[in-house]
Amino acid sequence: MNRILVIDDAATVRLYHRKLLGDAGWHTEEASNGVEALERLHAEAGQAPFDLYVVDVNMPKLDGYGFVRELRRLPLVHQAPVVMVSTEAQARDASAALDAGANVYLVKPARPGALVLTAALLLGAREIARTTAQGVQR
Amino acid sequence: MNTTELLDQFVTEAREGLEAIGERLLEVERNPADAALLNDLFRLVHTLKGNCGLFEFKPLERVVHAGEDLLDRVRQGKLPYGPELADALLDAMDYSAELIDRIEREQRLDTADARADALAKALRALLPDTPALDGSEQTAHAPAAAPPQEPPAWLTRIPANLATNAPAGATALRYLPEPDCFFKGEDPWRLALTAPGLLHAGVAENAPWPQDAAALADWDCYRCNLDIVLVSAAAKAELEQHFRCVPEQVEWHGLAAVPQPAAGEAPPALRERASAIWHEQLALLSRPSVAPHSVEAARRALRGLLCAAPWADSEAAMATLDALPRPLEAAALAAWASVHGPAPRTAAAVPDDSRRTEESTGGERTQRVLKVGQEKVDRLMDLIGEMVVAKNGLPYLAQRAETTFGQRELAREIKAQYGVIHRIAEDMQRAIMEVRMLPVGVVFQRFGRLVRDLSRRLGKEVQLLVEGEDTEADKNVIEALADPLIHILRNSLDHGIEQPAQRLAAGKPAHGTIRITARQEGDRVVIEIADDGAGVNAARVRAKAVERGLVPEDRAAALSDEQAVQLIFLPGFSTADTVSDLSGRGVGMDVVRTAVERVNGQVTLSSRPGLGTSLRLSLPLSMAVSNVMVIESAGRRFGVPMDLIVETVRVHGDDIHHFKQARTTVLRGRIVPLRELNDLLALDAPQRANDDGELAVLVVRLGAENVGLVVDQFHGASDIILKPLEGVLAGMTGFAGTALMGDGGVLMILNPKELL
Repeated sequence: MNRILVIDDAATVRLYHRKLLGDAGWHTEEASNGVEALERLHAEAGQAPFDLYVVDVNMPKLDGYGFVRELRRLPLVHQAPVVMVSTEAQARDASAALDAGANVYLVKPARPGALVLTAALLLGAREIARTTAQGVQR
Repeated sequence: MNTTELLDQFVTEAREGLEAIGERLLEVERNPADAALLNDLFRLVHTLKGNCGLFEFKPLERVVHAGEDLLDRVRQGKLPYGPELADALLDAMDYSAELIDRIEREQRLDTADARADALAKALRALLPDTPALDGSEQTAHAPAAAPPQEPPAWLTRIPANLATNAPAGATALRYLPEPDCFFKGEDPWRLALTAPGLLHAGVAENAPWPQDAAALADWDCYRCNLDIVLVSAAAKAELEQHFRCVPEQVEWHGLAAVPQPAAGEAPPALRERASAIWHEQLALLSRPSVAPHSVEAARRALRGLLCAAPWADSEAAMATLDALPRPLEAAALAAWASVHGPAPRTAAAVPDDSRRTEESTGGERTQRVLKVGQEKVDRLMDLIGEMVVAKNGLPYLAQRAETTFGQRELAREIKAQYGVIHRIAEDMQRAIMEVRMLPVGVVFQRFGRLVRDLSRRLGKEVQLLVEGEDTEADKNVIEALADPLIHILRNSLDHGIEQPAQRLAAGKPAHGTIRITARQEGDRVVIEIADDGAGVNAARVRAKAVERGLVPEDRAAALSDEQAVQLIFLPGFSTADTVSDLSGRGVGMDVVRTAVERVNGQVTLSSRPGLGTSLRLSLPLSMAVSNVMVIESAGRRFGVPMDLIVETVRVHGDDIHHFKQARTTVLRGRIVPLRELNDLLALDAPQRANDDGELAVLVVRLGAENVGLVVDQFHGASDIILKPLEGVLAGMTGFAGTALMGDGGVLMILNPKELL
C-alpha cells in the first residue's frame, strides 16, 4: 500500500488531510514540522520510503521549503513526489514551492477532490486514480 | 469522512491556541519590541484562522482574520501595539472562545453574528488606511476580504454525493420564504416540493428555534421560519418560471456537471488536473537551476501523469520518456515535456487555487501525547491506592506465620516477597501520580489577564511577576488552588496595593508588584503570593475581631501583631460591609483557608505594615494517599498525619515542668507545651512511660506554634487512604477520618488542629 506522510504544524489540518487521503485508501502518517519529518526519515532509513509527502509551508523549526530541499538531498527518498499545501497563495509562494523542489502546489484548505486527485496522479497508479476519482464523485 | 472527529480536534486545538494567544497578548504588552514574540503570536492567530477555513465558521473566521491583519501590521512595524489594540484583541479572542464553546455545543455556527461583525469592525477600525500602503500590499489583501465566486454556505447542506455527482446542468437553489408568507396565501413547502425535476429537498430553520421558556413566550408560530434547499435537474428557466412569484426569495447556484467517466477513459476533471500538474512540472523544470533530484522527481511525476490520465499518444510518450538519458538535464526534460504534454490548459481549466490570499502558520505545540480521559487515570489511582493498602497485609501475614504457626522460614519468605511487591507498588504509584501531575502554571495563566483588567479598573498600576510555574502538583490539588488564588490576588489588588499617588507619597514606585512564586519543598508545593502594598493593619484587625465577637477584648490585646493578623482567617471575620472599610486584606479569607485545608494544605499570612503582605500556601503534591504515623495510647492505635509532625522525642518525667495545670518541656531551647492524648480523647488512663521513665512525645506543628502530644508508644509510618468520617461520626472534628489497615483493622486518624 502507498504510504503518505502528512507534515503540518496544525493538528486539525493534519487530521483533515489524513482523513481525506485515508478515506481514499492510502496509509497515512504524520509529522508536525520539517525537523520531525526528517527525523522520521532518518529513523526509518532502510525501510520502504514514503511514496508521497503532503507538506505545509509555514511551520516552526523547519518550514516546508527547507524540508523539501533537504528531502531532495537524501539518498533513496529524494525522488518522492511532494505536494505543498499552504494558505499563502501569492505567486511568489507557488514559485518558491516549485523552486524548493515540490511537485505540486495546492492552496489550503485543499478541496477534497483536488488533494485526492493530485495525490492519485502523483502516485501514478492508474487503478488508484480511477477508484479515487470515482470515490471523489461518489 | 467523519467530521465529528475533525471538529473535536478543531475545538481542542482552537482552545489551546486561544489560550496561548491570550498569554502572548499580555506578554507583548510588556515587551512590545520583542519580534520573536510577535511572530509567535501572529503564527498562532494564523493557525487558528487556517483551521477555521476547513469549516463553515464564518463569524469566527471574520473575527480572527481581522485580528490577524492587525497583528500582521504590528509585526511589520506599521502599527504600534498599545492598550486599545490589546483591549480590542483580547475582547475578540474572548468572543472567539465563546464561539468555540458554541461550536462544541451545537456542532455548527450561524453565518450571521452581529457581535462578531462588530468585533471584526472594531479591529479593522484600528488598521491604518490600507489603500495608503504600497500597491502590492493592496492587491495581496483585497481578495481576502471578498473571495470571488465562493460557493454559498448553504451548498454544504446538499448531500455530498449529489453535490458532486449531479447530472449536467443541474441547479441548486435556496428558497427563503418571507416570514409573513402564510398571510399572503403562500404555501412554501408545497411550492418547493412541486418544483420540476426535483432531485433533493432539504429543510432547516432560518433563525434558531426558541430554546427556553422566555423566548417561547415571544414566539410567533405564524411566522415562517423555513430555509429550504433544493436540487433540480430541470432547466433554470423552467425553475424560474416555477418560482416566479417569489424571485427575490430564491438564491441560485449552478452545480458543476460531472458526468460519469466512460469505461477506460479518464474523467475530464482528472484530465484537467493532470494537465495542470503537467504544466506545473514544466514550470519547475524551466527554472534557472534545478537540483538533479528534483529533475528525477519531476520525471517520476510526469510518468505518473501519463499513466494516470492518458492523452492520445501517451503510450509512445512513455516510451520516449523512459528512453531519456540519466542523469537528465532539466532543460532536456522540459523540452520533452513541452512536446509530449497535453494541450495547454485553457483559462477555464485553471483551478482557482491561486486566487485566495492567506497565509499559514501554526503553533509549536505538537508533542507525542496520548490524550486520556481523567476518569481512566483516576480509576488507576484508586486501584493502586487499594493495592498499596492491600500489600500492607503481608507483614501481618508473616507475623502470623511466625507466631501462630511457628513457620519462621515461611515468614521470612513472605517478608522478602513483601519487599519486592512494596517496591513495585511504590514505583507504580509514583508513575501513576506523575500522569496526573500538572505544572502550577496552568492556574497562573489566567492571572495575567485578571491582574491587568482589575488594576485598570481600579486605576492602579500593578505588575505581576510569576516564578516557578513549572512546579508540578496533582491535578486535583491544582484545580483546588485556582479559586483561593484568585481570591488572594483580588484582595491584594483591591486592598493591598495602594493608588499610585499614595504609593509615591510613601516613597514607593507608582506601580505595585505582586509576585507569585511556586516551588517544591519535600513532598509539598509551596506557593507564595507577595505584594508590596500597605500590609495588613493589625490594630484594625484586632478591633474588627473584637467588634464581631470573635475574640474577647483582653485576648485580642494580648496578641502580638503577627498573631493578630492571623485573625482574618477566622470564619465570620469579614462580611460585605467591610470590603471597602478595611484598608488591609481580610475579605473572605476564611473561604481561602477552608478551600486550602480541604486539600490538606495550610495557609499562613505575614505582613509588614507599609511594606506589603505575603501569603504562603503549602499543599501536598498529591492527595490520594496520605502518610501517617501510627501511635498508641491507652492500648488503642491512632494515626497522625505525617505532614503535621515536626519530630518524635522521648522526654524523661523529670524534664517535664508543671506550671499550674499546664505542663511544658524544653526542646532545643524552646518551651513546648505538652498535652496528653488520653486527656484530649477523654480516655480514662494515665500515659505510660517506658522502662527508663521516658514519655513518648509527638511534636506537631499548629500554625506557627509547636505542641507536644504525649502518647504511650510510637509505631512506624504507614501509607493510607483517608476516608472522611460519615454518618453519625461526621460531626467529630477531632478526627480527620479513618483508614483501613493491612490487617483489616480500622485506624482512626487524628486531626490535631481541632483536637488541641
